[in-house]
Amino acid sequence: MSHLTTPAVVMGNGTGLTKLGFAGNDSPSFIFPTVIATRQASASGSGRPPPPSKPSFMTGAGGISSAGGHLSQKRGTEDLDFFIGDEALSAASGPGYGLNYPIRHGQIENWDHMERFWENSIFKYLRCEPEDHYFLLTEPPLNPPENRELTAEIMFESFNCAGLYIAVQAVLALAASWTSSKVQDRSLTGTVIDSGDGVTHVIPVAEGYVIASAIKNIPIAGRDITYFVQSLLRDRNEPDSSLRTAEKIKEEFCYVCPDIVKEFNRFDREPERFQKYLVDQGLDKKVSVDVGYERFLAPEIFFNPEIASSDFLTPLPEVVDTVIQTSPIDVRRGLYKNIVLSGGSTMFRDFGRRLQRDIKHLVDARIHRSEELSGARSGGVDVQVISHKKQRNAVWFGGSLLAQTAEFRSYCHTKQDYDEYGPGIVRNFSLFNVP
Amino acid sequence: MLLLQYHNLLIQSILTERFSPNSQPVSIDQVISDFDNVTYHISTPESKTKILISLSIKCFNDLKKYGVEELLQREYGPYIVSAPEVGYDFSMVVDLEKLPPELDAKEALIEKIALLKRNALAAPFEKAFAQYDELAAEAAKSSLDLSVPEDSGADVMPIHYRDEESIFIKASHDRVTVIFSTVFREETDRVFGKVFLQEFVDARRRAIQNAPQVLYSHKEPPLEIRSVPGLKASDDIGYVTFVLFPRHITKDRRENCISHIQIFRDYFHYHIKCSKAYMHSRMRFRVAEFLKVLNRAKPEVAEKERKTASGRRFGAR
Repeated sequence: MSHLTTPAVVMGNGTGLTKLGFAGNDSPSFIFPTVIATRQASASGSGRPPPPSKPSFMTGAGGISSAGGHLSQKRGTEDLDFFIGDEALSAASGPGYGLNYPIRHGQIENWDHMERFWENSIFKYLRCEPEDHYFLLTEPPLNPPENRELTAEIMFESFNCAGLYIAVQAVLALAASWTSSKVQDRSLTGTVIDSGDGVTHVIPVAEGYVIASAIKNIPIAGRDITYFVQSLLRDRNEPDSSLRTAEKIKEEFCYVCPDIVKEFNRFDREPERFQKYLVDQGLDKKVSVDVGYERFLAPEIFFNPEIASSDFLTPLPEVVDTVIQTSPIDVRRGLYKNIVLSGGSTMFRDFGRRLQRDIKHLVDARIHRSEELSGARSGGVDVQVISHKKQRNAVWFGGSLLAQTAEFRSYCHTKQDYDEYGPGIVRNFSLFNVP
Repeated sequence: MLLLQYHNLLIQSILTERFSPNSQPVSIDQVISDFDNVTYHISTPESKTKILISLSIKCFNDLKKYGVEELLQREYGPYIVSAPEVGYDFSMVVDLEKLPPELDAKEALIEKIALLKRNALAAPFEKAFAQYDELAAEAAKSSLDLSVPEDSGADVMPIHYRDEESIFIKASHDRVTVIFSTVFREETDRVFGKVFLQEFVDARRRAIQNAPQVLYSHKEPPLEIRSVPGLKASDDIGYVTFVLFPRHITKDRRENCISHIQIFRDYFHYHIKCSKAYMHSRMRFRVAEFLKVLNRAKPEVAEKERKTASGRRFGAR
């Protein structure tokens, strides 16, 4: 059959960004916002979406239907009149189109829009016949099984895709870390710190299963860092303090320091640490922005949240420690040993090293106390934070890695299975057994 | 999106990014898939500035018979690599350091490469059109339209572009016939497909008189291709026939015509899927409406808790 030779399609639909590509590649082919622009009578974008209109021949011969007598609605193809991704953003800036975000908080909210979003991603962007390809989709932890069923209904009934595997993002992020040289055994046990634009998750995974009760979320992520940089720029009255500039500075200059006080001193001693960023404002206007303490202060809000936020004050290492401590005792050692980073906001230089040191401190302090209390000697606990090159798209990359293995197809549910048993089969997927 | 694009968007975007003057050369290694079991491989095996683009297409052996090599030579001449990459049928190298300096020329080159699959598949069509030219000239010479026997014309050219489906092209002196065999794996798809094809047939009758004639036959292969060996007669196979008349294949329309017709199968399946998606959205809307009715029908107050005189409750044990 043809689908034995075609590469599997890996689709990661996140709240903010969608990553599309083929298995075996080391980076997604397309990354664009998960947004769909549909034609709307009023481009307000809020409120309930209007009901899908009936084709004209169903609304009666007169054609004077309640659905409205727009010329566009008479063509009968208005359900194809939409854009996704970057095209959607540009379409929505003009009149007539309204933006819709089909995924909220990682979970699909609007299935109509999602179905069309997939339709366009498959046929326009990936250009593949879904009947010939296996698909690997990602889902957030704590996704209700009903959502999986609805996803399977769309994938199998609308698109007739040859096979489907729905993987949990955290597990894929763990698989992506296998490329790091620090990982010796390819286990699916570990703690995943997934920090994207909106929110940071700390997810413990034991042998491929997410320990749902111990998951913690932190409302500090990439966007907050950008805002923090922006506020520092504004405080100093820099000539350009737009969000874009702040983001660029965050991406290009920021790093994690071992100690803030020492770092301040170092900046004062070595003036070359202050840098300049040239902003191209268009029309040949260029201004220079000074980049100073925010270089190390911005990522510091993960470790000392009080410098930026007033309502969330627990540092990230402490959260990670709590998560592992609330997990079952027999997996904790494995969770400490394999802390994996994923997502763009974990890309700061030395982020992993600092995190490892801070968690190690917490753990050592606890061991020390218990040694004092009990008088026994402890062998110590290994803490290891793993950062690797594919961190930015770790989830997608893990998916690509797994989907190119020869066994992948045997773990998928195929169209035949679906026809035989119905959507309920996707509630369970066998885990990738680890070589 | 009503029509599918002819070019591969991904190749286009990769090359546009690479070709832009202020981009740093990076290594690329991407496998890209396209409709009809076409696989591309874009890589930079030697140095970061030399982009190797390879194409693997299932029916390349068929296409070879119809002169695909000359066509690709014509289109991509200076870039072709004589020995294609292992596992692929056709390879070309673009050196970023030897690009044409003008922006327009660059864009044209990108466009051309993105149309690689379309161009490869165009070979049999071009050959058929050439045959048609010859036959038409001959017929004009004898100027006896009536005397030309019905079965005259060139041989049928089958292209087995998918596992179970093929395109057949046959040129004769007054038309070019293109026949697609289609197989539906799904009952639902077959129903949708039938409605669609019926619409194609009707649309010509009703509104668009100068569209090519479309015929649909189920199970029975059309007369033109009866002679082709290896035709399977099964229940789920259908044949769609397009008859291209001289007005469709005038010199200036040919390129467009080829692009349109070779993507027919994908277009067809895309729209079947779109209509299913549309049906689903109607169904979801209907269910939501019914649920509202059901919720309205709920009794206002739930039953009050009953207690015994001593204040004990009834409860399930």
